[in-house]
Amino acid sequence: MPKQSRRDFFKTTAALSAVTAGVTSTKIKAESKDYIPDKAMGVLIDTTACIGCRRCEWACKVAHDMPTASLDTYNDRTVFNEMRRPDHTALTIVNEYPGKELDQFPIDVKFQCMHCNSPACVSACIVKAFHKHPNGTVTWDGDKCIGCRYCMVACPFQIPAFEFDKAIEPDIKKCDFCFERTKVGKLPACVEICPNEVLTYGKREELIDIAHKRIELYPDKYIDHVFGEFEVGGTSWMYLSSKEMPKLGLPDLPRATAPGVSESIQHGLFAYFVPPLALYAILGGVMWINKNRKNSDTEE
Amino acid sequence: MKKNLLIFTLVLFSSAFIFGQNKKAAVDHSQVKGLTCKTCHSCDIPTKENPCLINCPRDLMVTIYQKPKDAPAEIIINKVKDNKDLYTPVKFTHLAHAEMAEMSGGCISCHHYNPPGDVIPCSNCHEPKRKREDITKPDLKGAYHRLCNDCHRAWSGKNDCNACHTLNAQYAGGKKQPIISKDKKRIHPEIKTPEIIKYETPKTNKGKMVNFAHTQHINTFGLECQSCHKNDACIKCHDQRDKSNAKPATFTQKHKNCLACHDTNNNSKCNMCHTNDAKDVRFNHKARTGFDLSKFHSKLSCVRCHTTKGKFTGLSSKCSSCHGAWDLTNFNHAKTGLKFDETHAEFECESCHKDAVYNKPDCSDCHDDKTYPKDKPGKLVR
Ligand code: SF4
Ligand code: SF4
Ligand code: SF4
Repeated sequence: MPKQSRRDFFKTTAALSAVTAGVTSTKIKAESKDYIPDKAMGVLIDTTACIGCRRCEWACKVAHDMPTASLDTYNDRTVFNEMRRPDHTALTIVNEYPGKELDQFPIDVKFQCMHCNSPACVSACIVKAFHKHPNGTVTWDGDKCIGCRYCMVACPFQIPAFEFDKAIEPDIKKCDFCFERTKVGKLPACVEICPNEVLTYGKREELIDIAHKRIELYPDKYIDHVFGEFEVGGTSWMYLSSKEMPKLGLPDLPRATAPGVSESIQHGLFAYFVPPLALYAILGGVMWINKNRKNSDTEE
Repeated sequence: MKKNLLIFTLVLFSSAFIFGQNKKAAVDHSQVKGLTCKTCHSCDIPTKENPCLINCPRDLMVTIYQKPKDAPAEIIINKVKDNKDLYTPVKFTHLAHAEMAEMSGGCISCHHYNPPGDVIPCSNCHEPKRKREDITKPDLKGAYHRLCNDCHRAWSGKNDCNACHTLNAQYAGGKKQPIISKDKKRIHPEIKTPEIIKYETPKTNKGKMVNFAHTQHINTFGLECQSCHKNDACIKCHDQRDKSNAKPATFTQKHKNCLACHDTNNNSKCNMCHTNDAKDVRFNHKARTGFDLSKFHSKLSCVRCHTTKGKFTGLSSKCSSCHGAWDLTNFNHAKTGLKFDETHAEFECESCHKDAVYNKPDCSDCHDDKTYPKDKPGKLVR
């Protein structure tokens, strides 16, 4: 059987839900109303300048009152021997990939929630526990969350993490773009601490200009791609690098927004009172595809 | 043209006036050569208040050069200080680093886009605050660290903050830590130039080694270290990275330095350098070509005589093939180190030098009892 891509799956399920629920295809949106170009802030990560000191990981934990080992333990570079993912104990992590050539440094890449312009997590959440703020931040509200974990399935970057080790009131954890700090005019904790200013905080639109300018000035240093400018409809956090992004753990994603589709699944179905059974069948399918995808990821 | 000149003079005068007021001229415009005002300034009449500098990198690099000893030996870097800082300020041994920079790019390695005149502090362009309006260039903390880390992470593959910083008391269990301090007079020890460098080339069947006559290359061609080592970073010598997984260097990478003069892509010429004999130093101009460069031609670059790149044969060793015909009117014999006495100054060259390469003279035509170099037709002048 030819492998059905995740996107294709979304297309079919969207069509399916459109048929079953009588939702018109106009529900499938390309641009999110959530993205306000004038207000949206972002971070440009220049991976060519990152030294893998992991001070950003430390600062993130401290800023969020999460338990952390002492600062000195972050000098240990053996953590780079395996690839890590942000989880409920660390909202951001840095991974290390081989450099381009013999005499070049390894490439260190910080990873966290991308704060999508059209966040799949927001659309997937039935009870609106996720919220996209005008400054681009996507936050999660524990009071509303019912623990269904659809957000984890929907996110194209597999970011929302569930506190599996907590039996009582487990939380969904993910980078909150330091919302509490930016609200009072502070920089995100990781941006503030980074010694090399790998992370530049600013207006998203301005950062895109800066990124392209850098590529133009140093064509030998960067590949001509600003990751996050268009991926899944654009993200607040964006990357520059010297090596193709999929080799740096950044998935090869289409420009189209996945969430537009899941939005119509959720909202459409609920709006038209489709029996929950159908809903579960569809979302179960999404999970299944995603699981498959994970498996094939590990096989690679 | 005239108009431009007028504007230029105007600018010069107005800047002289402004700088005169401030006593200290930051940029010495008289030393800026070969550039137009627009290389650095975007407006027609830049002033000190509004120099309207265009963004870096500028396509033309203007820069300063000072001797390492003329600069401060030690600098405390504390311009980006905050009471929440994790680390104490750094005592930067400027002298030692300037000495090291001498071996590669010089002052320009760090002081980029610094026009002639005074050394401009980094903070003139890089803002000390991370939260700022202009985010096109790194802030001061980022700029400092990028410079340091470019080399520091290179040789060890690590970036240990503790190599330069100590933790502030509140992060070090309340104990106040001393600032890391190294001898400020410390300089990089002199690098000994190796006579011969042996490269093992086991993979090629053209010879298992190259015995590179390093000193001879320097002397023969009057090379400076930077002629070949211009892009070498510290890592060239201080490399502690684990290379076990590294990709082997490509043919081009290996022959990069030789390629400037040798046609390394010509398969028939490998044995110019590759040999199987550890004692066989391939490069010796005299031994290989019969033409001794050491006396009068040691300071010439290869291309002065070998004008076609990669082609080193076909030149005649006759002096006249490059210098034309010599006679009494156009040759000053004192330059060879021997000034004739009055008698010998009158003779044609051929009277004593019988061959076309002006070998040692033969006195026997005139003198039965005299031989060179025991007897000399004049006196030695060097
Ligand atoms: S990366 Fe995932 S969790 Fe973050 S905003 Fe996008 S969809 Fe939501
Ligand atoms: S923005 Fe804040 S929450 Fe997100 S990775 Fe940085 S420090 Fe952590
Ligand atoms: S703090 Fe900056 S340099 Fe250090 S690992 Fe994080 S992004 Fe990279």
